[in-house]
Amino acid sequence: MKKQHNIKMALAVLVTAALLASGCGSQSGSKSAGDAKTFTYGTVAYGVSNQNTGTNPHDTYVGWSSIRYGIGETLFRFTNTMELEPWLAKDYEQIDDYTVKINLKDNICFSNGKKVTGEAVKACFEDLLQKHDRAPKDLKIESMTADGQSITIKSKEKVPALLNYLSDPYGCIIDVEAGEHDKIVIGTGPYEATSVSDTEIDLKKNENYWGETKPHMDKIVVKSITDGDTLTMAMQNGELDAVQGLPYSNLELFQNNDKYNVSQADTSRIYQVAFNFKTPALQDLRVRQAISMAIDKENFTKVLLHGQGTPAVGPFPASMTFGDNAVHTVAFDKEKAKGLLKEAGYADTDGDGYVDKDGKNLELRYLTYTSRQELPLLAEAAQADLKDIGIKLDVNATNNYKNFLKSGEYDLYSNAFVTAPTGDPEYYFSTHVLKSSAYNMGFYYNDRIESLEEQLRNTFGADKRSSIAIQMEQQILDDCAYFYASHLRMSFVMKKNVKGFAAHPSDYYEITPELAKD
Amino acid sequence: MKKLLLSPRYRALWPYLLLAGALLLLAVFAPWLTPQDPYVQDLSISLQPPGGDHLLGTDRYGRDLLSRVIAGSQTTLCASLLLLVFIAVVGSVIGIFCGYRGGWADTFLMRLSDVFLAFPEMVFAIAVAGVLGGGLIQAALALALIGWPKYARLARGLVLTIRTAPYMEAARMAGCSTLTILWQHVTPNVAGPILVTAALNVGTIIMELAGLSFLGLGAMPPTAEWGAMMNNGRSMLQTAPWIILGPGVAIFVSVAIFNLLGDKLRDVLDVRRK
Repeated sequence: MKKQHNIKMALAVLVTAALLASGCGSQSGSKSAGDAKTFTYGTVAYGVSNQNTGTNPHDTYVGWSSIRYGIGETLFRFTNTMELEPWLAKDYEQIDDYTVKINLKDNICFSNGKKVTGEAVKACFEDLLQKHDRAPKDLKIESMTADGQSITIKSKEKVPALLNYLSDPYGCIIDVEAGEHDKIVIGTGPYEATSVSDTEIDLKKNENYWGETKPHMDKIVVKSITDGDTLTMAMQNGELDAVQGLPYSNLELFQNNDKYNVSQADTSRIYQVAFNFKTPALQDLRVRQAISMAIDKENFTKVLLHGQGTPAVGPFPASMTFGDNAVHTVAFDKEKAKGLLKEAGYADTDGDGYVDKDGKNLELRYLTYTSRQELPLLAEAAQADLKDIGIKLDVNATNNYKNFLKSGEYDLYSNAFVTAPTGDPEYYFSTHVLKSSAYNMGFYYNDRIESLEEQLRNTFGADKRSSIAIQMEQQILDDCAYFYASHLRMSFVMKKNVKGFAAHPSDYYEITPELAKD
Repeated sequence: MKKLLLSPRYRALWPYLLLAGALLLLAVFAPWLTPQDPYVQDLSISLQPPGGDHLLGTDRYGRDLLSRVIAGSQTTLCASLLLLVFIAVVGSVIGIFCGYRGGWADTFLMRLSDVFLAFPEMVFAIAVAGVLGGGLIQAALALALIGWPKYARLARGLVLTIRTAPYMEAARMAGCSTLTILWQHVTPNVAGPILVTAALNVGTIIMELAGLSFLGLGAMPPTAEWGAMMNNGRSMLQTAPWIILGPGVAIFVSVAIFNLLGDKLRDVLDVRRK
């Protein structure tokens, strides 16, 4: 009997100890953000819907994760004014219109200790061209030759923005010989991945980092938290050291607060709406203009985005030479919009509040997705604005949007897009407004745009390229092929003790060797 | 009948019937009861706290929340009740048919209902609504798909207990047609328990439909629907809590009223408690 009692006592002690241990465990887990050598970062930008889970830059948009979280680095990088500066490269030499020689710094090592040579970079680019969807079309590389610490790239056609394209996240230099294991690749950045899943990346310090500033943190945990409220509360209760992608309405909880710092940067991410030129009603320029005139982008930015952005004219922000200050578009004017619809033959003949033509209401299907919090807001604001001029908008805000795009079940498609990730305008044009563009969801086509793009493709020199870009933008705006709502202002919120963590206009560089905690 | 309804046992039902009736009246006459247009946006009065012209405040689009809660009653309550009637009728008809006829059709339909009953209700509804692409009709379809087996099972069980009853034999011997037997003898005998189950189910259906809208799988913007309104205000819980308060309280009150009514109805109609 006594023995049985003792067993029960022992079990009780064991259970209590286990409970205490598990309690301690969870406590230490949640305390990880408080550890001076561990940086815990919550972001909405990492996830399957963003096509960037993993670390291999040669896979769709995964390069963004590689470069953002300090795993990969490119030959050149962008300054705060989106100009190029050498990073892994020492300098370059433009041999002729088709050939460029890039010299590498001598002291660069991959995180496995292997030296980065011209041959390693060549192998990396060959792998990139073989596997990546956009890179071969952007770079148009004919041949590459490596010689010691330099690599010479010869293009099939003139590619004036070659160095800009090589600075895209897909241009991160990785050790392809080491291969990819469990979604982990070997890069040159200040941190190396230790485990990668669709919701989290764990990193440790790269002991072989080549830069003068050595990484300060021992461990970094990047958590994908797609729910804005969860992200807010995780930051408030101290689980995270920094966050990206807080709902705009919650940003004010951290601004002017002694416990937090906020870093902001204007980016080239645009919220845009493509008009589907296959929709008969939208083939009429007056209808597209009326829609563009009726949506109040000023108030959308000021009220619904809480001022975290700037109303857009065209696809590029005003900070760029070919940006919003260089082009013009129709002004917000609902009365004029109504007039245009009338001119186009639309009138509310049955008194139901919506204009009609040939007995059919002007009813349009608006497709968007919800993983970017701004897009459903724009949809609902546009819906109310267009109702005022008699257009019925049926909003379909779904993360299953790709199926609808595939089946063509939309008249307007709204998305978010970084228009100048390489600081050069050609990327946006080549992806959005050409007959061959992968993201030309409105099926827009204009001969002049095609020939200007041909011209841009063969023009060197920032000023000349800028001038052609402005002509193209103006043509797009005159054709009302897209409605440009707003440019995003990106915000990072971090604890007061976090240093060296700042928002960058390119939206590429987040975790750098400068990152530290007091 | 009047005497029966005024009897002490039925009298306890009245307060709940009145409250549920008031809710239904609010839902039916919502378009005439809203103080302002629930769909007109005015960004200049975005996120106004309760008070003044806007008793429940305004949402981020400057829409009057009281008007939207009233308008939402029509969407949420009417959609829930219509859905419930549909599920209860379809489920019961299938159940009565299976119970009375038996055979391979009974086996097939009951195994099919077993399949649907094997899934957790809400998880299955989320999956179906997700595949259908969102929208109030799609959400209702998803809930209908998982809702009918409960009524089919109940009706079938009740029919099996009365199928061999003497009065059923008598009706058959008297030459009544199958339809007459089902309508005059079977239906009245199974209606009571089904009605009680349906009454107890109203609250759940309201919650589930609002839940799907809350998850973005139900009502689409700008439809005023309580679940969708709560979802809309979710990201502003700390900065503008009044947005979520109105629809939240509306869901709580409606579910409570219908659940209490269901409980009372069960007490009154349950023969074992007499």
